[in-house]
Amino acid sequence: MEVDQQHPLVLPGDTIDPSLIPTHKKQPLRLGPGLRHIPPNAIIPTVAGQLIADHKKNSMWVEYNGGRYIPSPNDLVIGQIVRSAADLYYVNLTPYTSSATLPQLAFEGATKKTRPILAPGALIYARVTLANRHMDAELECVSGSTGKAEGLGPLTGGMAFDVSLGLARRLLMARSREEGGVEVLELLGGEGLAFETAVGRNGRVWVGSESTKTVIAVGRALRETDEGDLGVEQQRKLVKRLIREMR
Amino acid sequence: MATSSSPSIAIPGQLLGPASKYQPGPGTHIHESNLYSSLLGVVHINQPAKAPGPAKRLNKILPVVPTELPTITVSRSGVSEKREALPEVGNTVLCRVIRITPRQAVVAILVCGDTVLEAEWQGLIRSQDVRATEKDKVKVYESFRPGDIVRAEVISLGDQANYYLSTARNELGVIMATSEAGNTMYPVSWKEYKDPETGFSEPRKVAKPN
Repeated sequence: MEVDQQHPLVLPGDTIDPSLIPTHKKQPLRLGPGLRHIPPNAIIPTVAGQLIADHKKNSMWVEYNGGRYIPSPNDLVIGQIVRSAADLYYVNLTPYTSSATLPQLAFEGATKKTRPILAPGALIYARVTLANRHMDAELECVSGSTGKAEGLGPLTGGMAFDVSLGLARRLLMARSREEGGVEVLELLGGEGLAFETAVGRNGRVWVGSESTKTVIAVGRALRETDEGDLGVEQQRKLVKRLIREMR
Repeated sequence: MATSSSPSIAIPGQLLGPASKYQPGPGTHIHESNLYSSLLGVVHINQPAKAPGPAKRLNKILPVVPTELPTITVSRSGVSEKREALPEVGNTVLCRVIRITPRQAVVAILVCGDTVLEAEWQGLIRSQDVRATEKDKVKVYESFRPGDIVRAEVISLGDQANYYLSTARNELGVIMATSEAGNTMYPVSWKEYKDPETGFSEPRKVAKPN
């Protein structure tokens, strides 16, 4: 979103113009990530980024591109198995941090007799169930309510690429082109490449395809979109160039 | 042989007397029916209360109550009466939560009974010892947080590293807690503490105030 009067850039500790705070007759104001309420009525940003307010839902938050992923419940993440212990897998979400735990029974159709066999180094797509600053995160590979995998579980083949947290967030948006400004995956699919992707909130994107060239092309496209901070038009040019180089 | 008088100061390994004449107290041990000192310190002999002699009643003769032997103890000089009180099984202790994991809470034992301990002993409160009911549904994150002060009971002396503690009674649990915003909280029910300034409540296993 453009930086303008309505969506200014804020630094930690800035005061927010009261006219930007949305008001609603019935719903209370909800603060998203990056904002903190100091009683009685001060709202202070805690990160540097762009202040976004949604008047329909009466919420406001700060959009920022941080470097460190902090797990929060219900996030979808791509983790790598470090080792397996009794009843648990230790999964690495970000390098040089302590591992998250994934119970061996938290897979679809897993019972005490039939457990999934995952070797160290395997990639899994999981959801964060428990995350707070006092304990290591806990994951699950099955939907808690229905008991079905719904896309979660081990990711076989393909390759995982590292992207920035901001790009991962934009890729996971429901309308990534309008709100996130990211269309590169749709464009590549439109050019006839067959691949599937899984996006992890922790800054990893897994790409799987029958052809290795496709996987590499998609990975390059993601990396150049990320590093060059390309807009939609530039992404179109990038995709055309990559397709030409592939043929 | 003349009656051997027990020494006034003993070194480790020194013979104090036969086990038939004395009972072993703290600082002593028995080896081959003799009492030896385990510490370097002053020897104390505690005479037991004189048991009353057999009461003569007109219709019943009671057996002779065996007189108790005096207890011999050795204590380090300087800390003669003020011995470090170690937590024993059944003692109520106050401890501070250091770390929580999904299965247990690691605490540092600060106060045993009424005495503040000189050294901090580490204790463990396992998730099945947090409550008396629904033990398998306990979430340690909703019972304790790092920094809380907890009243607990020692259930086992444990292994080299830890005592094992339990809070499975109404009057055991968190007695002092700080909120995420940094304010001291007040207990609201058996499972909630409330921050008076922000109004948010946080879940804890609360000790019943007496």
